[in-house]
Amino acid sequence: MPWFLHLALRQLFPPGKRFPAFATVSILGVGLGVASLLVVQTVMNGFGEEHRLRIRESFGDCVIVGSSPLARPDTLVAELRKNKEVEAATAYAEGPGLLRQGDFSGVAAVRGIDPADARQPARQYVMAGNFDDLDDGRVVLGAGLARILRVNVGDHIELWSPAMTERAEKGKAPLPADLVVCAIVRTGFTEVDDRAALIPLRRFREIWNLGPRAHGVILRLKNPSDAPAVAGRLGVGHPDLRFVPWQDIKKNFLEAIRFEKTMLFFLMFIITLVASFSIGSTLFSAVIRRSREIGVLVSLGSGRWQLVGLFGVQGLLIGALGTTLGFLLTWVMLFFRENILGSINAVFGDGDMVANVYQFSKVPLHYDISDFIIAAFFTLVTTTVAGLVPALWAAGRKPSEAMRDA
Amino acid sequence: MPDLVLQARGVAKAFAAPSGRLAVLADVSLEVFSGESVSIRGSSGSGKTTLLQLLGGLDEPDVGEVRVLAPGLGLVRPRTSLGRGVGFVFQNYQLMPELTALENVSLAARIAGASAGPAESAARELLAQVGLANRLEHLPARLSGGECQRVAIARALVNRPSVILADEPTGNLDERTGVEIMDLLLGVVAERGAALILVTHSREFAERAGRRFVLSGGVLSPA
Repeated sequence: MPWFLHLALRQLFPPGKRFPAFATVSILGVGLGVASLLVVQTVMNGFGEEHRLRIRESFGDCVIVGSSPLARPDTLVAELRKNKEVEAATAYAEGPGLLRQGDFSGVAAVRGIDPADARQPARQYVMAGNFDDLDDGRVVLGAGLARILRVNVGDHIELWSPAMTERAEKGKAPLPADLVVCAIVRTGFTEVDDRAALIPLRRFREIWNLGPRAHGVILRLKNPSDAPAVAGRLGVGHPDLRFVPWQDIKKNFLEAIRFEKTMLFFLMFIITLVASFSIGSTLFSAVIRRSREIGVLVSLGSGRWQLVGLFGVQGLLIGALGTTLGFLLTWVMLFFRENILGSINAVFGDGDMVANVYQFSKVPLHYDISDFIIAAFFTLVTTTVAGLVPALWAAGRKPSEAMRDA
Repeated sequence: MPDLVLQARGVAKAFAAPSGRLAVLADVSLEVFSGESVSIRGSSGSGKTTLLQLLGGLDEPDVGEVRVLAPGLGLVRPRTSLGRGVGFVFQNYQLMPELTALENVSLAARIAGASAGPAESAARELLAQVGLANRLEHLPARLSGGECQRVAIARALVNRPSVILADEPTGNLDERTGVEIMDLLLGVVAERGAALILVTHSREFAERAGRRFVLSGGVLSPA
């Protein structure tokens, strides 16, 4: 180990002191700055990832719609299934419906699906009942909607569709569809859990008077990240249809999350910057306090760049240890995020902010290694520069002046 | 025939003062040979420390030149041979407070380019020679003033310099410890074949040097 590194370590961590004031406070400051930066970034990544996942689960990797319902969806589905880039294709229909059970009613986003589709995403979120029981007389409900209607698996509900007004106009009594709840799903995405009702596409067509038509086709692709390019290729020869890749669905919302994340990065980085300034200021004091020692080191033969190294490396070490501590704090804070959020809600309000604002029942996470690398890089650069400025000043002084001024 | 280890010719130094330039040294010349001890006495503010800093390369003269014998290099400017041609002993010891006695001495060898193992061996040997074999792992805060100055002497000698420059080495010590340190300094320096230039207020200690000078009015003259 070079002598200046050894001396820097000793000056930062003098023997016999378990928590040397300068090192402890500086490392804590940097660690908290890094942790706040990474906690925000990781949670924002989580929100972005969760929304992307929900979008893909709801609309597939690519959704095909027209200006009016698709006249021959089965032909289109058969054609698309032959494409090598398409893994699965299913027609769907959707529309608002009124659900009623006794004195309780709720508005649902009803979707007609293929019950035999083994890759139907809702299957993985079943919390009660059996998804495979779904048939023309049954319905799968979101957990929130089931709660609103006070129903459980096996209970009956009535479904009213806007198409039933046509019967009334023709003088016939509109009769609701009687359905039995066969499964309840909880996705954690409030918008889905509070509104979703899934019935077979065939039954949906009956209730909505759609005939053989469907509202669109959902595609699952072999390479979902390539969806925009695949959508472009598939769309050739279908000028009357829109092929919308999942990245373009709720695009503005995803862009807003990305922008919010970028802004928060800069805001949080200021905390690290402030910590670095305090390191620079404290190191300046230390350099002035150690003027005589600097003179002595020169008298012993120390070169200018070794002196720069001695104090510069202290900034670097504080940055490195602070970053490591920041990583650790990040993990701890994120591990206990629900408890922390619960405490914040208990102190500052009674609402479930995450569910109300971001539509998730839990704070989502997504660790992105690039966030950690960027945070470490910027922190190390700023703390090293904070150490280098006083180091260069110290190294530029005449040793006789340094010894005289001390 | 002793070697010429330090040569100062026509050295002058002045500092900026509110009333203009303040001449501290004027035309100082001195030659010192190996194994020789030289004392420089003078009142406070007479320029003793400034002269020592010029001789040791911690400052540059306005006029004149200083040359020091550096091992393997011959007579060179002292700035280029810091830590090897010249060793310093300061009044306030100037030890690194975070380093043990052993580390303080070996640090000087490490700065001069020695690797960790040989530097530590040389430091152990010298600390034993100055009577601190049982204080190797002690921090300066846990050593007495006399012990600290012994560590400082060991540090000054560890790179086998041709000249030791001692600036009031007994100034912070009681009389008895001061005598011990002077005995040690003169003995160890002579044993190692180095030259000693001692700056002191004390007439008694100055008298123990082979050659004695007085610095007054910026002029160095034999006592």
